[in-house]
Amino acid sequence: MNILTCFKIVSDLDLMSESDWVVEDHFRINTSFVKNMINPYDESALEITLLYKEQAEKLGSAVNLSALTIGSKQLDAYLKTLYALRFDKAVRIENQHDLRFSPDAISTVIANYVKVIKKPEVIILGRQSGVGDNAKTPLLVAEHLGWPCISQAVKIEPASEGLLKVSSMADDGLVIETIRPPCVLSIGNAPNSYLRIPTLKDKVNYGKKEIEVLEIENYLNQAVLEQPSEGHNITGLKPINHKRQGVVIEGSTPAEKAQNLYHNYLQERLKQL
Amino acid sequence: MSTTSKTQIVETLISILGKERVITDEEVLKESSVDRFRRFEEIHGYFTQPLPVAVVYLRNKNEVAAVLKFANEHNINLVARTGDSATEGGLETAVENSIVADGSEMNKIIKIDPYNMQATCECGTSLQDLEDELREQGYTTGHSPQSKPLAQMGGLVATRSIGQFSTLYGGIEDMVVGLEAVFPTGEITKIKDVPRRAAGPDIRHVIIGNEGALCYITEVTVKIFKYRPENNYLLGYTLNNMKTGFEILREVMAEGYKPSIARLYDVEDGASHFSHFAEDKCVLILMAEGPKPLADATGKAMEKIVAKYVECEKVDPRLIQVWFDNLNWDVSKVAEERTEIMETKNISNTTEISATWDRIYDIYKTCVERIRNEMPDMTLVGGHSSHSYLNGTNMYFVYNYNVVDCNPKQEITKYHLPIKKIIVEETIKAGGSMCHHHGVGKHRTRWIQEEYGSSYYILETLKKAFDPKGIMNKGTIFPGE
Repeated sequence: MNILTCFKIVSDLDLMSESDWVVEDHFRINTSFVKNMINPYDESALEITLLYKEQAEKLGSAVNLSALTIGSKQLDAYLKTLYALRFDKAVRIENQHDLRFSPDAISTVIANYVKVIKKPEVIILGRQSGVGDNAKTPLLVAEHLGWPCISQAVKIEPASEGLLKVSSMADDGLVIETIRPPCVLSIGNAPNSYLRIPTLKDKVNYGKKEIEVLEIENYLNQAVLEQPSEGHNITGLKPINHKRQGVVIEGSTPAEKAQNLYHNYLQERLKQL
Repeated sequence: MSTTSKTQIVETLISILGKERVITDEEVLKESSVDRFRRFEEIHGYFTQPLPVAVVYLRNKNEVAAVLKFANEHNINLVARTGDSATEGGLETAVENSIVADGSEMNKIIKIDPYNMQATCECGTSLQDLEDELREQGYTTGHSPQSKPLAQMGGLVATRSIGQFSTLYGGIEDMVVGLEAVFPTGEITKIKDVPRRAAGPDIRHVIIGNEGALCYITEVTVKIFKYRPENNYLLGYTLNNMKTGFEILREVMAEGYKPSIARLYDVEDGASHFSHFAEDKCVLILMAEGPKPLADATGKAMEKIVAKYVECEKVDPRLIQVWFDNLNWDVSKVAEERTEIMETKNISNTTEISATWDRIYDIYKTCVERIRNEMPDMTLVGGHSSHSYLNGTNMYFVYNYNVVDCNPKQEITKYHLPIKKIIVEETIKAGGSMCHHHGVGKHRTRWIQEEYGSSYYILETLKKAFDPKGIMNKGTIFPGE
C-alpha cells in the first residue's frame, strides 16, 4: 500500500510572550523569532503512519511511505528526519507565497500532486493547524480527488485484503470502520501525539537521501498564488483572557478542608447526577 | 541499621509533629523514594528503591531538630528535601525505613534588607517567589537556574546550585552570606550574616553543598542586587567550531570582562534550541548587565573581541531573548516531558563537569566521540558551556536516547550510568571536576575519592565529625555500604 502523509511546519506560538504579538509590515505578525515545529496534528499523523507501517509489515504487507510538505528549503531538516525514520520518499513543494490562510490552495496543490503521481491510495493529514485553524484542508483534498474522508481519525490498523480499520472520534464515542482505499484520513486528537525520534545511526544511514523538490507553479494556478490570503487581513490584536477564577478551600486540617469542599461545592452537584 | 520498627518510627514522628504532618500514603511514599534521576522508571510505574517509612512536613527549626535527634538516636536514615527538583539521585531513599523530611512548608521570606543588600528566608522559600518579591522592589537574587520555578532555597544551597547569570553574580556559594542549619544531634547552628571575616576557615562551606549528608539547612541569607533589565546588552552569534567558541569565552574572561551570560552550544545541542536560525552551527551567547555605563562598556568590549573571529556571524538578539524567556522548567513543562517520554520512550539526561581552559575542549571532544561510538540507541549527543571563570569553564553534556529492548528498570544501567561513566572518567583523567552544579547525588559517589584525591581526607572527616552514625542521606556524596 502506498501512503502519502502531508505535514505543515508552524511556529511554536506558545513561546511568544504577549509583547511579541505585534502587527508588523504587510499586516503580519512576525513569528520568525520563535522555533518551528511540526504542526501537532500532523505530528500525530506521521506517528500513526509509522505505527501502521510496523503493523502491516508484521502481517507481511508491504507499505510504501511518502511525506509531503509545502514551503522553503528550511523545511528540509524535517524531511531528513522522516527519511531517518524510514519514510521511503520525502517531497517538498517549494513555495515562498503566503498560503497560511488558503486551505483551498493547499488542498489543490496536494490533490494535483496526487493526480500527477497517481500513486498513493491513502492520504493522511492532521485535521488543522494552529495558524489558520480552519480544519478544511483534509476535507478539501478529498473533495478535489473525489475520495471519501474520515475525519477525527485516531488510529489506523491493517485489515485483510488491503482494507484499513480506522478508528475515529464521534460525538457519542469511538467509531471503528473498515474501509477500502482510496481515502483521505484527517487525524484528530490521537493518543499518539509525539513523533518518534531517530537514532544518530539512522540519521547517518538513512537521513541523507535526496529530497524531491518540486515547484508549486506546476500544481497551482499562478493567479491563485498571487492572490492575497483569501482576503484576510489583520485589523487588530486582542489578548484572550485565559484567567480562571479559583477559590481557596479554608480549614485548619485536611479533614476539615475536605468537609468544606464536600458540603459547599460537591454535595449539591452529586445529588444532581 | 535501625532496629526500630516502622510502627514505632511513625508513632514517634506523630508524637513530635502531629498526625497531619506525617504522611504514610503509599503513593506519596513511592513518589518520595526517587527524584528526576529515576524518572524513566517512575513514569512507567516502577519504584525500585526502598520506600520511606514516612514523609514528614516540618514547620520550624525546633521540629527539624527534634526529628533529626530522634533519627540519630535510633539510626534511622533521613533524607532532607525542599523543592524536589534534584536530578542526581540525591533524594532517593537508598535504605529501608528512611524518613523524608520535607521543608517546603518553611517558606517564609523573613526579611528583605535593601540597605544591606541581603534577603533572609526559610529553606522552603521558592526561588521564584523570592525573586518575584525582590523584583517588585527593584532587586534580584541574581540566581536563575533552569529549575527556578520549582526549586527552593534550602535545596539550592544544599546542592551548590548555579544560575544562568553566574558569570557575573557567581554560584550560590558566592551569594550566601549567612545560614542556619540543624545537625544530627539536634544542634541548631546559625552562621551570622557578615560581609567577610577572617576568623578561621569559612564554615559556610561545610553546609553549602552538603546535599543533606551532614546537616539540614533551615534558613538562608543571600545577597541581593539591583535589577536593571533595561540595561541588558545581549549578543548572539553563530560559528562553526566549539574550539573557537571556547577561545572566545576564555578571552572575554581573561581580559577581565564579566558577562552575566556566557554560553556556547555545540551543533547537536544547539539544534534543539536554535534550528530556526542556526542550522548546523554552534551558537555563542553573551550578555552584559548592571549599571548602564558598565553594561554598555562590557557589551561593546565583548563585541570587539568576537569581531576578531571571522567565523562568527551576529544574529538578531531577539532570537536569543525569546529562547531565553522560555528556558526555565515549570510544572507544565515537567508534565509535558512525562507524556513525551511515555510515548516516544526517548529520554534526555545530562552530566555537567568543569575543567581549565587548556583541557575543556579535549574532554568535550573525547566524551562526545566515545558516547557516539560506544553507546547504542543515541538520538542526541552534545552539550554546552554555560558558566565561565577566569581559569576555565563548565561543560554540560546533553544526551538523549531511545530506550529499547529492555525493561524500564534497566534504563539506568543500560544507558544512563555507562554514559555518565564515560564523562566522569574522562573528566577526572584530564584533571577536571566530575560535578559542576548538580551535586554528587547517589550515582557519582563511586568516583568521589578519585575526584578529591588526597583531599578526600578532609571531606571524609567532615562526615565522621558531623554525622558519625551515618544517618544523613545515606549513599549521597559518600559511597554507601
